Amino acid sequence: MRVHVDVEKCTGHARCWSLAPEVYELDDLGYNVTPVKDVPPELAEAARKGALACPEQAITIEE
Amino acid sequence: MRESNRSPVVEFDVFGSHTLADNNEAWDAARTQCPVGWTPSNGGHWVISGYEQVAEAFRNWEVFSSARTDPARSSISITAGRIPLLVPEELDPPEWHPVRRILAGQLAPAAAERLRPRARYWAHHCLDQVIESGRGELVTQLAFPVPAAVTLEWLGFPESDWEMMAQAFHDPAAHPAGSPEHTASFTAFATVSARVAEEVALRIDAPRDDGLTSIVQSELDGEQISSELAEALVFMTIGGGVDTTSALASAAVWHLDRNLDDRQRLLDEPDLLDAATEEFLRFYPPARTHARTVAQDAEFAGCPMRAGDRVLLSEVSAGRDPAAFPDADRFIIDRFPNRHLSFGAGIHRCPGSHLARITFAEIIRALLDRIPDYRLVHDEVVEYPNWWMIGGWAKLPAEFTPGPAGRATSGEGD
Repeated sequence: MRVHVDVEKCTGHARCWSLAPEVYELDDLGYNVTPVKDVPPELAEAARKGALACPEQAITIEE
Repeated sequence: MRESNRSPVVEFDVFGSHTLADNNEAWDAARTQCPVGWTPSNGGHWVISGYEQVAEAFRNWEVFSSARTDPARSSISITAGRIPLLVPEELDPPEWHPVRRILAGQLAPAAAERLRPRARYWAHHCLDQVIESGRGELVTQLAFPVPAAVTLEWLGFPESDWEMMAQAFHDPAAHPAGSPEHTASFTAFATVSARVAEEVALRIDAPRDDGLTSIVQSELDGEQISSELAEALVFMTIGGGVDTTSALASAAVWHLDRNLDDRQRLLDEPDLLDAATEEFLRFYPPARTHARTVAQDAEFAGCPMRAGDRVLLSEVSAGRDPAAFPDADRFIIDRFPNRHLSFGAGIHRCPGSHLARITFAEIIRALLDRIPDYRLVHDEVVEYPNWWMIGGWAKLPAEFTPGPAGRATSGEGD
């Protein structure tokens, strides 16, 4: 699995990080600045939840 | 009155309802008529009430500007109240960006997390004052003072300022327009501003280890920020951080009295509090609306908007939109996903949201830990009289089984 973050859409709600801190990293201001990341199977469920929680709908999942 | 061929027309008076139930009903009616419409009420303004449309308008700052058009009056509240300039909220890019960076850094998730022990301490401290008597007023003695203490202690204001500062932002929401308390709050902002200016000047001369110093020492374009900007940022932090979290906590205290099954689930499954926090935010958004001004002629959701038109965006209506939330009118404590817009969306998304969630959670945890059987004295409950912007409760008297005080100072509170 791979997660794609549209970093232009991120406004720092940090909901992704709150549900899957191992998948979604934040910068010092609390914004997600990692556009693409591979996700190991054991974190896949948390990654999906983090994507679903984004109020800006900035995260897409590539299974 | 503007000559208006703006359509569709929606019947909606933002100042027309004075209870939570009536205000929710008014928003449901407006949204059912049309998710974007023009109301001739109150001088005429657009009303955006559908979830997708509210989200899109929040994100489109180029059309829906937050910038002031009248220097003396707020542009982001439909009341256009007289309040000092709120920065960065009332700035648009490019001025917005470097100022936002300063506040975002101060209140980023990791920075907010460092204040969790203080939120826990103050929640237990407040409960310590009432717990032996078996009776307390859970707004004045819990929901109101805790967010103020967390925010103002972190900034570095002396405790003697806290009540005055918190009261200045509480009174316009908690008292009816025209009442002595409501009117006095606007002069109270001047007192808050004066104290902010004094403390900012002190930090410039003598830095300390506190939030005021950190803001004063922030840089803009490589130079230390002006004292005026520092003062404005501090004022914004107080205004944004104090009565909003109080209003949310008051809503939860009220809700958990009326819905004992939800209280029992939180007692049985403490980990549910994170999901529950989002549902409290969706169902009882402390900031129910924000206003914007159309910056350039544009068609939005098929509606012809003209530069200068005022626009009301409804966080509360977005959260009640069945197109975005199944069973939107039901409080579902473990609802997921829950992409409510109660902290806004787009560039002006509330930068204090992380601290707000932490402070709220610690208040509710302490409440359920210390007085799990509290019951409100129903005929003494007082809602805020106004639900157009900030919505909450002014008085929530409660009775409960007495318990031992001294928890905050025992170290268990930390």
